[in-house]
Amino acid sequence: MARMKFLCDADRCIECNACVTACKNEHEVPWGINRRRVVTLNDGKPGERSVSMACMHCTDAPCASVCPVSCFYTTADAVVLHSKDLCIGCGYCFYACPFGAPQYPKTGNFGSRGKMDKCTYCAGGPEDDNSQAELDKYGRNRLAEGKLPLCAEMCSTKALLAGDGDIIASIYKERVAKRGYGSGAWGWKVAYKETIAI
Amino acid sequence: MTSMLSKVIRTGLLSLVFGLFVVAMPASAQQPSSVNPTAQSVKEAQLLDALKPGQSLAGRVSIPNKDAANLIQPGRDWRAFNQETLPRIGTIAILGVLALLVLFYLVRGKIRIDAGPSQMRITRFGSVDRFVHWLTATSFIALAITGANVTFGKSVLMPMMGPEAFSAWSGMAKLIHNYVGFAFMAGVALTFLIWVKDNIPGATDLKWILVGGGLLSKGTHPPAKRFNGGQKIVFWSVVLGGAFLSLSGWHLLFPTAEGMAEAQWHATLHGTVAFVMTALIIGHIYIGSVGMEGAFDAMASGEVDLNWAKEHHSLWVKEEMERKSGSRISGAAQPAE
Amino acid sequence: MTAEVQEGVWVGQEPSWDSPINRGTHCAKGASVRELVKGERRLKYPMKLVNGEWTRISWDVAFDEISKKMLEIRAKSGPESVWFLGSAKFSNEGAYLFRKFAAYWGTNNVDHQARICHSTTVAGVANTWGYGAQTNSYNDIRNSKTMIIMGGNPAEAHPVSLQHVLSGKEINRANLIVIDPRMTRTAAHATEYVRMRPGTDIPVIWGMLHHIFKNGWEDKAFIQQRVYGMDMVRKEVEKWTPAEVERVTGIPGAQLEKVAKTFATEKPSTLIWCMGATQKTVGTANVRAFCTLLLATGNVGAPGTGANIFRGHCNVQGATDLGVDIGTLPLYYGLDDGAWKHWARVWETDFDWFKSRFDTTKAPDGKDISMMGVPGIPSTRWFDAVTLPKDQVAQRDNLKGVFVMGHGGNSIPRMPEMTKGLEALELMVVCDPHPTTFAHISNRKNGTYLLPMSTQFECSGSRTASNRSLQWGEKVVEPIFESANDYWVMHTFAQKLGFADKMFKNITMVKGKFGMEPEAESVLREINRGGWSTGYCGQSPERLKAHMKNQDKFDLVTLRAPKDAPAEVAGDYYGLPWPCWGTPEYRHPGTHQLYNTNLHVKDGGGTFRARFGVEYDEPQADGTKKKINLLAEGSFSKDSELKDGYPQFTYGVLKKLGWDKDLTEAEKGVIEKIGGNAPDGVSWAIDLSGGIQRVALEHGCIPFGNGKARVNAWQLPDPVPVHREPIYTPRTDLVAQYPTRPDYKHFRLPNIGFTVQKAAVDKGIAKEFPIILSSGRLVEYEGGGEETRSNPWLAELQQDMFVEISPADAADRGIKDGGWVWVTGPENGSKARMKALVTERVGKGVAWMPFHFGGWFMGEDQRSKYPKGADPFVLGESVNTITTYGYDPVTGMHEGKVTLCQIRAA
Repeated sequence: MARMKFLCDADRCIECNACVTACKNEHEVPWGINRRRVVTLNDGKPGERSVSMACMHCTDAPCASVCPVSCFYTTADAVVLHSKDLCIGCGYCFYACPFGAPQYPKTGNFGSRGKMDKCTYCAGGPEDDNSQAELDKYGRNRLAEGKLPLCAEMCSTKALLAGDGDIIASIYKERVAKRGYGSGAWGWKVAYKETIAI
Repeated sequence: MTSMLSKVIRTGLLSLVFGLFVVAMPASAQQPSSVNPTAQSVKEAQLLDALKPGQSLAGRVSIPNKDAANLIQPGRDWRAFNQETLPRIGTIAILGVLALLVLFYLVRGKIRIDAGPSQMRITRFGSVDRFVHWLTATSFIALAITGANVTFGKSVLMPMMGPEAFSAWSGMAKLIHNYVGFAFMAGVALTFLIWVKDNIPGATDLKWILVGGGLLSKGTHPPAKRFNGGQKIVFWSVVLGGAFLSLSGWHLLFPTAEGMAEAQWHATLHGTVAFVMTALIIGHIYIGSVGMEGAFDAMASGEVDLNWAKEHHSLWVKEEMERKSGSRISGAAQPAE
Repeated sequence: MTAEVQEGVWVGQEPSWDSPINRGTHCAKGASVRELVKGERRLKYPMKLVNGEWTRISWDVAFDEISKKMLEIRAKSGPESVWFLGSAKFSNEGAYLFRKFAAYWGTNNVDHQARICHSTTVAGVANTWGYGAQTNSYNDIRNSKTMIIMGGNPAEAHPVSLQHVLSGKEINRANLIVIDPRMTRTAAHATEYVRMRPGTDIPVIWGMLHHIFKNGWEDKAFIQQRVYGMDMVRKEVEKWTPAEVERVTGIPGAQLEKVAKTFATEKPSTLIWCMGATQKTVGTANVRAFCTLLLATGNVGAPGTGANIFRGHCNVQGATDLGVDIGTLPLYYGLDDGAWKHWARVWETDFDWFKSRFDTTKAPDGKDISMMGVPGIPSTRWFDAVTLPKDQVAQRDNLKGVFVMGHGGNSIPRMPEMTKGLEALELMVVCDPHPTTFAHISNRKNGTYLLPMSTQFECSGSRTASNRSLQWGEKVVEPIFESANDYWVMHTFAQKLGFADKMFKNITMVKGKFGMEPEAESVLREINRGGWSTGYCGQSPERLKAHMKNQDKFDLVTLRAPKDAPAEVAGDYYGLPWPCWGTPEYRHPGTHQLYNTNLHVKDGGGTFRARFGVEYDEPQADGTKKKINLLAEGSFSKDSELKDGYPQFTYGVLKKLGWDKDLTEAEKGVIEKIGGNAPDGVSWAIDLSGGIQRVALEHGCIPFGNGKARVNAWQLPDPVPVHREPIYTPRTDLVAQYPTRPDYKHFRLPNIGFTVQKAAVDKGIAKEFPIILSSGRLVEYEGGGEETRSNPWLAELQQDMFVEISPADAADRGIKDGGWVWVTGPENGSKARMKALVTERVGKGVAWMPFHFGGWFMGEDQRSKYPKGADPFVLGESVNTITTYGYDPVTGMHEGKVTLCQIRAA
């Protein structure tokens, strides 16, 4: 099975936010829930880079480790998903996540957290693939249809890559070799405990 | 008050202990005559190397959620704390105190009233006192159980209950914890208000503590006012621990856009203080119930045996006697009004 | 973009991988377009203002009342008193019909967004080498070795183009130089970033040319063969020594020399620009300076070179081409009698009937001339034509009615004055999917109509991309709610106004949502029948649809389908970029790179257009005139039978060459019928048979002739561009030396820029308003932003209007990042309340605002003035509340990119 990963080539990312709205539109994600976002470092200074970030579907995911009800599971494609039926909205995964991926609707008591929502790698949840229940809770399941996450598919500059980790790493490596610079595979060291040698 | 205290904690402790976010590498203020933004671009590896523990790589986002501006927080300290250290603290604290109590019971047995019951009663706690105590006590117990569930439920209860039932229980436990927290906060605040004047530490307390409150040997009864040294320790633990629990709990309940490091700090504080307090309260419960003859009455009916009072709160009894010349002492011969 | 539709509802959006232009990719807007057609904040049914309240009406009532009022104005004040504002959102067919509609109504008062985006580009570029459009393409940038982006931020304005720019940068290790006052998201990816003072583009270019000429880096052979007027440029450039350039622009000489050397010597080089260059009082001159730099370095007419002008909207190129413009009929024919007669023949409507539809006016010599030859009032000035005294407006009466289809109301400077203009109108019609700023900003109580229109996804038709490629778009769903498409609305109004039979004479009607409506395919065929001048003649609907079907067959870089592709597209360039010569049956492949002499004309090759005559009587210093050859010398397209320059083809030229015998009898018949008693004068542009074009091409020649490009545009103001300070400049010390042009009249109105500039200097405005204000685009929003701010996915990403201010200026004023500020402007006591974004993107003394916000005006939230449920999610102050006077002399473009302001904490 493939080991699915995300890779944002910040030397291509222009903060166009296509990934963000593609995700929102595809999964009908409400205001205030940002499964994906683009962060600009060194804004306005030479050296500025923007990075599109969502759940990285970590190896040995910290969210899964700290979840008090063990609602997370990892698919055969190494996608980290969770069950909203089991989730109690405690927020621990947010404390543990290095990427700020978990999001909570403000529907819980005291306007605090409802059930956690995050990037599913367009792979839905534990329900039957492409069932209505899955659509309602997690959004579309593109992976089950043989498609990759829409954020990466629509990326205007092909900065955001999704797919098998080895393949996207080799695409990135090739790019860096060709152009002679690369600011790094953002998040890989933290998420996958590996870096792409440049 | 809370917000001020919380500010103090935030700005003081937090920035000292954890530091805040750093924006990557300051650019030179002066624009050189030739700028190559590509060559000067920030590099992940360099930024990560430059990070101090607890810091995150942060930048700018256009959405209002400023948490989202934290790109990567590489530290896994909280995860390790939450998964290893905290359960260890909890286990040691709870099992440790239970073991001590068992040992204490085996050695000392139940502490009796040395002079034997006098049949004379003295009013120790009025209804307000008792209400505040039990408000705090019951809410604490509910919070302790539902809170401990977060740390231990997964390994202890889930295998027995199965994931669905355990999740349902945990969801309910979370709700209970969230709501009851307010009762506990109120209880702690009231505790402070009604008893603080009797809990100012003094020289008597030092003496009391030096002889271990007389609990370790029969017949030793160091003098004490309304609250003895041990009770004052419990009082201040409840007040201070409760304050920390309340403040950190408040932040966990109402997440603000202050960043992940802060949320982790609050969770760390909350868990640690909670287990320490749980251990202390277990000791408190023991001595207030099975551990000592006559103690439970204080918070049950509010009236205690005069001999018990003389032994454990001699100065207070004297004070009460002088003030009211016995009017508040009642016994079988002189039924309470 | 591929849409998934279930039971009439658009449920999913998939990338169209095979599109060679975007390869399936989008920006934030493209990735969320499905939301437009869900449209919870759309205008849902026709409405009108009744004593200040929005009231629902039926389409029938709307048509009746509006057309009655229009005819009333026409009777009272003449046809010129209704002003038509069209849209870059039209399909080509919609744009064409809108222009045609104005022609049948009898006015040239018809304009659209191109006025305020690239009108100066079109004028400047066309006046240099023939056509006013991007010479190459996004894809072709992949061939460049050096790219300069000046006055543009494509990372936010044209994100998909960055795919090609960055790929080119990576594959060729190309130089990407960004010259801009602002360190933009584009500049972040540059290999060289140059910060300049806003409004000093010409000194920057002349400064580069100074280094180029001094070091002999220019392309001497290219200049000699293909360029007229470079000597005059040299003379002007001599003044721009590195010291003077640095004094005016702030760019150090060494840096500019490095940039100049790179551009001139690491070729092919391309120059990319946008509104930063065009929205100035010197917009046209800026553009001509840019073209001059390209010509001097020989960077036109080959892969990887050229003027890569990035255009916005889904179809601003097409709407421009199809003449939604005050100065021309469709496809740049102009307004002279020849142009009218050409279209009258295509439309089979009598020329004299058109004449009868127009007012007449007195020429300076006292003769009556028809308004049909007089350019109309530009979109930047319409409100002046409402409120100025009647004697200052050169038409029978002031404007009384404004009819807007698909144009925002917050895109044009001086909004406080526009508001007064709005209030003085008798009739205001807004046809749009959203209410727009026009609906709420004024205190109108009656006579205002909002008609709900379809978006481009609810309307079939062709659209022209920036690179001149046409793409056919199928309607995804029927227009939602009661909204209607452009075709039906224009046809129904034409019926009510009494000219539908004539106007739609040759156009097939089909069943639509509300009844019979014009068929897009049929409209395109009519465009093909008349579009010879620009090569819009070969792109039949059938060919365009074949291209969409075979998108995967086209090469990513050359855009060409190989010879072994399916016959219907084999050898074509994607989208048949114009000029696509001859009839559709002739199967010209389109032109990927304009003026490329390395290709046969039948493969899309070409030469510079011989547009400015064969010879020019150049005035000399001694007062005499010298005849200068304007035709190319020793340069010609591949395999041309004429091995030198040649004039444009006419029947007469064919006869002289003996090539007229290659015409068929039928073609000859058409030509002779058009020419009447002077058939020799029938040119390639008005020959409805396409015979002249065909024969020229068969002989390897391009129909429009083989001329020189010119860097001395003698009939324009400042024939060789000269620097002129913005109307509102902080550098008052430079105004005496570089003043704006004297006051004059143009486009029926006075332009008092000089007076305004002088008054600003005299009054010390720059002391009171010390910060330069520039404006631009956010990737999430488009144009006036009404549509995109109504899209929840986009609106969430930019929830507040803001002004970018440098940390130094912010510190001086006690302004905090994210805090509220008041921005005030030098005219009309204008003020606007917004958030501060403290950033080093802007340098000290410069502020920048996005231009997409509306719904707040001078601090007041006007949400309550929207029709219920049609207010966008996000409202905010418009930059144009603050922006000021200043107009380009050639096109009437506003000066939206430089003015002054003051900022203080709120």
